[in-house]
Amino acid sequence: MLYSEIVIVGCGNPLFGDDGFGPAVIEEMKNFKLPDNVTIQDGGAGAPHYIFNFLNPDVTKKLIVVDIADFNSKPGSISKISGKNLKPGAYIDPHSWDGVDQLCRIKDQIDTIVVLCQPAKVIKKGDAEVEIGLSDDVKNAIPKAIKVILEMIGVDYGTTIKCLQEERQRGTAKSCGSTETS
Amino acid sequence: MSKVVEISPTTRHEGHSKLVLKVNDAGIIETGNWCSITPVRGVEKLAVGKTPEQVPKIASRVCGICPIAHTIAATEAMEASIKCEIPKDALMLRHILQLANRLHSIALHDILILPDLYLPGTEVKINPFTAEEPVRTVAKRIQRLREIGQTIGQISGGECIHPSNTRVGGMYRNCSEQAKTKMYDLAKEGLVLAKAQMDLMIAILRNYQARESVDVGGMKVPLPKTLGYHNQGYLATHAFYGSSSLDECPSWDINRFKEVRPWDWYMGEMEISLEEPKYPIGGTTKLGTKVNPQMEACTGIPMYDGQPVEVGPRARLVTYKNFDEKGTVGQNIAREMEYPDCLYEMMDCIDLLNPNGKVVADFIPDGDGSLGWASNEAPRGTDVHITRVKDWKVQYFSMLVPTTWNFATCSAALTGAPWQLAEVIMRGYDPCVSCATHMIVLDEDNKLVAQKLIQ
Repeated sequence: MLYSEIVIVGCGNPLFGDDGFGPAVIEEMKNFKLPDNVTIQDGGAGAPHYIFNFLNPDVTKKLIVVDIADFNSKPGSISKISGKNLKPGAYIDPHSWDGVDQLCRIKDQIDTIVVLCQPAKVIKKGDAEVEIGLSDDVKNAIPKAIKVILEMIGVDYGTTIKCLQEERQRGTAKSCGSTETS
Repeated sequence: MSKVVEISPTTRHEGHSKLVLKVNDAGIIETGNWCSITPVRGVEKLAVGKTPEQVPKIASRVCGICPIAHTIAATEAMEASIKCEIPKDALMLRHILQLANRLHSIALHDILILPDLYLPGTEVKINPFTAEEPVRTVAKRIQRLREIGQTIGQISGGECIHPSNTRVGGMYRNCSEQAKTKMYDLAKEGLVLAKAQMDLMIAILRNYQARESVDVGGMKVPLPKTLGYHNQGYLATHAFYGSSSLDECPSWDINRFKEVRPWDWYMGEMEISLEEPKYPIGGTTKLGTKVNPQMEACTGIPMYDGQPVEVGPRARLVTYKNFDEKGTVGQNIAREMEYPDCLYEMMDCIDLLNPNGKVVADFIPDGDGSLGWASNEAPRGTDVHITRVKDWKVQYFSMLVPTTWNFATCSAALTGAPWQLAEVIMRGYDPCVSCATHMIVLDEDNKLVAQKLIQ
């Protein structure tokens, strides 16, 4: 069996600057000890046909996708969107096969949430500029994204997370940089 | 009088490309240019100065379909340059990973070509996504084959998309005895499915080949018996795996290779004089549009012994198994015939794998700047990576990937076919255009004359 009850996938291409956010979050999460029912996977640019395509709703109950998106916020801000709000794209070829299109096929059977980070520079499909490495804002957003993900899968990872939670409770949604669209 | 028609973008393959076709009054292609329009990545420049551990990871990100082939080819090119021989069990794990990738890729290609083909005995084209039988069962079998390939790739390579277990000097870790058994069981299951899938696909392809005409966007198009024929040569370096400059008898010779400029090979500026709105998806390019394949093409033209060659499943079968069927149907049949071969070989490799054997070389040199290359027989053909490593820094890196080889060969194969079938011919090569897009061009003296970077 390739995938478990909870699947976390980091999407994006590290060759395109901040687009490498998803894989970078997964790389960081490899240092965590996660429950056996959680699979983390670097989806790179191939998640739609290599991962989303293979999820079995009898086995996988929750899918968390980590990616970047332009939601007109401060670079490094974290947002999340429920799969129920995704709208299908169009199938043209396996590479430009929009991940959203694939997610739309499974969102009614698997609880799907997309965790998004606002990039410092917006990357459009077809852009060619190769640049390795995340911007500082986006790099600093990795712990925030991981915190959001751990909360979603019900993992308490100790003091750091608790401190961040307390900070948030003191009235600072801003300090967490986290917004939610559901 | 010749007319010019353009299909852009081409569909059901990886990456962005287009077909510019000069056709006669009967719609038969006189000259065809298939060219990449995926922007150049410039990965080869980016690699310079990085460590040999970083570059395979960078190479694996040039596209979302072929990371395994690029990881293995780049890693082995590094090892060839630093002259590092890896332990036998590490090599076995890489073989298994390679074959798992091929299994997945053949199955994925089935999905991409099925909409061109007919259910035998009917006038119904096959929609692989339909819920209706018998196609549903076939689609499930394809998915299971892909899943088997992915799972075996994950066990041997660490991750099923970007393999994390591969490293310069071998592999990070061997697999357990239980994992070995699991891979073997999966391969056995896959073999039964693959044989059935191969038989079905060959029957469907033979049925297509026997037709007098086919339907394309409501147009009845005559089907020539010589669809996709060309007289270029073939290049393959191994039936399953590949070769490198470390081999005692390498099966690829860098001195026989040269890459030339696309502007010597493709047509110049023209105006579209034939438009067909009925062509799927969304019609062809509008009348009066200017096109210039010479300047728009984003790849060089690689040659072996002075000619473009075909790489891929048919090239492997021609070179190592005396396969002799030409044309698009022959090419697709060759790919299907690799299904069981791939699983038999995988089972042999799993048998030979010792889970207790060491998988990292005892000594990994820093490199003295020697030129090293490795070819990997990726699903789509010969994937050659060339590098120089000195003091653990990459000084030079180049990727010569399967679809780059096939662009000019496929362009030649378009001649004589109805233009509406140009995409069918192109899909026979199972193109991966993103990987192919780079441009480092050598002149007659093999000196660097042009590097077309970001457009």
